[in-house]
Amino acid sequence: MKRTLACLLLVAAVAAAQKDEKKPPEDVILQAMQDEIARSRSIKIPNLTDAPYYIEYGLDDFEGLTLSATLGGLMQVQRTHVRIPRVEVRVGDYKFDNTNYLFSDMFRHSGMEGDRMPLDDDPLAIRTHFWLATDGAFKGAVDSISRKRSALKNVAAPETLNDFARAQPVKILLPVKRIPADEAAWTKKAKTLSAAFLDYPAVLNSGVEFQWSQVASYYANSEGTSLRYPDNLVDVRIRATGQAPDGTPIHDHAEFFGHVFLDLASEDRMMKSAQQVGANVTALAAAPVAETYAGPVLFEAQAAAQLLAQMLRGLAPVRKPVNEPGRNIPIPASEFEGREGSRILPEFLDVVDDPTQTEWRGQSLFGNYLVDMEGVKPTPLPLVEKGVLKNFLMTRQPVRGHEGSNGRARLPGNFGAGTAAFGNLFVKAAETSTAPELKKKLLDTISKRGKPYGMLVRKLDFPSSANVEEVRKLYGGEQGPSGRVVSAPLLVYRVYPDGREELVRGLRFRGLTARSLRDITAASDEAFVFDYLENGAPLALSGGGGYVANTTVVAPSLLFDDLELERVDAEWARPPVVPAPPLVSVR
Amino acid sequence: MRGQESASVILSFVPSSFRLTILGLALSLSLPAQSLLDVMREELDRNFAVLKEKSDPPAYFAAYTITDEESRGVSSTMGTLQASSNNRSRLLDVTVRVGTPKLDNYHKLPGENPRFTSASQVTVEDTVPALRRALWLETDRTYRAGAQRLIKIKTNASVNVAQQDNSDDFSTETATKASIEVPLLKWDAAHWEGVARKMSAGFQKYPGVLASSVGITVQREVKYFVNTEGTKLRHGRTFARVVLVARGKASDGMDLATSETFESQDTEGLPAEETLLEAVAHAGKNLEALLKAPVVDPYIGPAILSGRASGVFFHEIFGHRIEGHRQKDESEGQTFTKSLNEAILPPFLSVVFDPTKHRIGGVDLNGWYDYDDEGVKARRVPLVENGILKTFLLSRAPVKGFPQSNGHGRKSPGLEVVSRQSNLLVESTRTVTNAKLRQMLIDEVKRQGKPYGLYFDAITGGYTTTSRRGLQAFKVIPLVVYRVYADGRPDELVRGADIVGTPLASFAKILATSDKAEVFNGYCGAESGNVPVAAVSPAILVSELEIQKTDQSQDRPPLLPRPVEESAK
Repeated sequence: MKRTLACLLLVAAVAAAQKDEKKPPEDVILQAMQDEIARSRSIKIPNLTDAPYYIEYGLDDFEGLTLSATLGGLMQVQRTHVRIPRVEVRVGDYKFDNTNYLFSDMFRHSGMEGDRMPLDDDPLAIRTHFWLATDGAFKGAVDSISRKRSALKNVAAPETLNDFARAQPVKILLPVKRIPADEAAWTKKAKTLSAAFLDYPAVLNSGVEFQWSQVASYYANSEGTSLRYPDNLVDVRIRATGQAPDGTPIHDHAEFFGHVFLDLASEDRMMKSAQQVGANVTALAAAPVAETYAGPVLFEAQAAAQLLAQMLRGLAPVRKPVNEPGRNIPIPASEFEGREGSRILPEFLDVVDDPTQTEWRGQSLFGNYLVDMEGVKPTPLPLVEKGVLKNFLMTRQPVRGHEGSNGRARLPGNFGAGTAAFGNLFVKAAETSTAPELKKKLLDTISKRGKPYGMLVRKLDFPSSANVEEVRKLYGGEQGPSGRVVSAPLLVYRVYPDGREELVRGLRFRGLTARSLRDITAASDEAFVFDYLENGAPLALSGGGGYVANTTVVAPSLLFDDLELERVDAEWARPPVVPAPPLVSVR
Repeated sequence: MRGQESASVILSFVPSSFRLTILGLALSLSLPAQSLLDVMREELDRNFAVLKEKSDPPAYFAAYTITDEESRGVSSTMGTLQASSNNRSRLLDVTVRVGTPKLDNYHKLPGENPRFTSASQVTVEDTVPALRRALWLETDRTYRAGAQRLIKIKTNASVNVAQQDNSDDFSTETATKASIEVPLLKWDAAHWEGVARKMSAGFQKYPGVLASSVGITVQREVKYFVNTEGTKLRHGRTFARVVLVARGKASDGMDLATSETFESQDTEGLPAEETLLEAVAHAGKNLEALLKAPVVDPYIGPAILSGRASGVFFHEIFGHRIEGHRQKDESEGQTFTKSLNEAILPPFLSVVFDPTKHRIGGVDLNGWYDYDDEGVKARRVPLVENGILKTFLLSRAPVKGFPQSNGHGRKSPGLEVVSRQSNLLVESTRTVTNAKLRQMLIDEVKRQGKPYGLYFDAITGGYTTTSRRGLQAFKVIPLVVYRVYADGRPDELVRGADIVGTPLASFAKILATSDKAEVFNGYCGAESGNVPVAAVSPAILVSELEIQKTDQSQDRPPLLPRPVEESAK
């Protein structure tokens, strides 16, 4: 009762605050959004009491330049300017609303909102768009809450968690000026980089893609949060594929990120990367097929960060939605659920997510962000201390034992909630070894166990650049007891007792779960920065999700005492019947 | 649930393609050492030589098509800009035929539409190594898929069952060579942006219009084609199009829309600004009238279809049934397969397909081309002469009695050719004036003892089922329909009518036509993609037509008034 009253008072206060403002708006778009939110609070279906208690609008003014090139030739240039609106309406109250129900997302009434949002700063046109979208969202929410109520009537012990956590209003108004993109210069760079593969005849298909986007992000909600901030991204992707004599497809890629052009690596460094990708594909195509292996595995360089990036995704808890009686839906719980206060890593490891950092030891951090998708500011968050799980990544969706966002809603989620993800994840080791010491530890372990060789992983296929067929064959089958899908190792070596390394191919992990992390026995003194785009898709498969979250993982090399790698047995098409055409450049 | 969703993400993993792009290249394109067609020719010969001699099963035919598409456009709503676009891309299609012309990998099995090509993107510059790689890899992939299907077909028992049509899978045609200049795109972005804004602002006068938009686009399409028979072609055309749409919701929840399109070969052929503004006003007024109009009751009785409505009617219920490949597919209804040289229309009607005709009565026709997508020269095909069916629309897939293509093999990039329509022309020898036709309708209404007849003014389009498993029926979706009363009351606009019926019955009931032909331009979608088409017809009087109520949405209109009304307070 108290809670409801407080809610009403808050509403009144916000409404009053909005009436007082008669000054010219600070921002035409934000003002239009706020005006329409204020007006929409009175939306009502005749003879029904359900009313919106929370309305949220987002608008991303997206200007992008994408260009791609292959073997020195331009494939396509795309310039895009589009405004992507987002509308959320919640009916009921914070305690019980239309979300967290199996069909929460399904009753979005298709109103007339299918049209494109106008690109002009015309308040009336912008409001008209939001008006129709709100109408559809509200009708959908009313439908959803009534179905949720009737579904609950048949549930014996319903969930008692609140549906939505309160959050402090935030106001941010940053300049969103744009830098013009030098299309000619970037076209030339893409073509030059792509021409690197003219020197690698074993590469079948290759390409370089530049993606440059400048987003002015607008957000307003009925609680008084109003935001305008730039959200920019530069992404250079270099990829190549090949084929082993037995038909196995080979691929490798390198990717560079920045918030603006200046963050990006030098052209020289990118060219070296392209050459490395060409060399990797060539070497992999000629590499022997490995045998299934069980024993110590050393993750060097970025491989450890790539592995942890996947394993620690589970620090975002999963809430089961209200279900229809008799309908069994397998929504796997997070591997870390219920393990708060328990050891999930060795004692010498700490994990902190700190999206507020912009730099680490002179390197810029890609995973920095100001505010999450729900308008909540992130603060540094200790996740694991001395190997013990301390906190989860939270959105405004309450889960068992936790209510209140810590600003980690970074991707859209299911059942009306956001998906939590980290920004800059730091994995810190209290006890460390030098790189040679780590390798020695690996060799000591194999000699102790009488193994002919150990395994060293330098790169995982994460985010995966595999094609659909490869994904199906590589990851489609049973993957260990938990069914967890972990990216296959891309660069994996046998290390012989004399220290010699041999590149092998055709392996994937078996039975690698969150529990395996407790088998980490040593970490390096050097840490590696790994930047990537999280999209929520399995393997963060490139192109697998509509939204992306810029992420960085900083982690040392890690030695696992015991892991299994299994040989992939799949049948592939034979190499082409016709010999390859010559790779002679026109120039 | 989540796991399943994730799986489908993987399976449907396709890079999102915003067709909203710009190619403002300030590139210095060094003159290529070899022309695109030469590179295609060389790579085709190199690949084919191996696939013909050294592979099993051997290839006997191959072709490459590169479609170079360039487009510019603008779209607007409420006087504001929604998007402006500038695109250029090149898409490669590869055909490899494995086996023999008698039986190859394209062999028709009931209900199957094999697809081997994939529209892979290639460089927009004539970069030789990149183009060669793409041609080579796509040829390999296409050959494999083709070889695999041929092996499957040969082991399929249904081939051994005596098929009614045992004609070959592929025709022999003479090689053609041509290089036709395609006009460059002309586009004044600022001007057309202004026109679009002005037009879209015009809808604001109509409160019933909830959402509206105006799109203006131009496109240039150049096709480069080579095959192993020696055909080598460069041809194409340009397009210009204006589309305006207004949408609203009646108080009972029925979604209604009015629209208008204008097609021509370039912006100079588009109507003057005032005509475009009139079209906006017309669509706005019509929508408001429709929102207030009564809902139709199911009805059977006499009707007039306007020339444009009749064009759609013929395209749907007649055109799709005389496409050659359907006569060969045993899963098809084959309405007309056995009707060759028999009367299928009243004797005063003839139907011609003519892709060589660019204009009629001052109006550009959308369905013209110089060569079809198999490199066969376009030609005029009289399909029905004085009511008698003479032939079918033919690609290079022969039909019993017709071993040769008549230049109607069409497709959009990434799909396989089937026989498709071009410019459909309905010609009549029993013509009367529009006024007389209306009088004939009223006479027929009285004769049948009905209170009213129907007048179909505008039709958006429709669909038709030609499959044997489906009902042999069609449905066209009229936008603007009037009741024409026998007692002299004024005509009454109604909403929510769908024309339904079965094809053969409908044709027999055409009584007369007007003396004035109208043009309906559009894009036809079928198994080989969207292709530009036109249908030209006079208005027709039908003694009996059946309408049913449209499926309608139960959603109520928006709960709050438009923001414009709020801010006016």
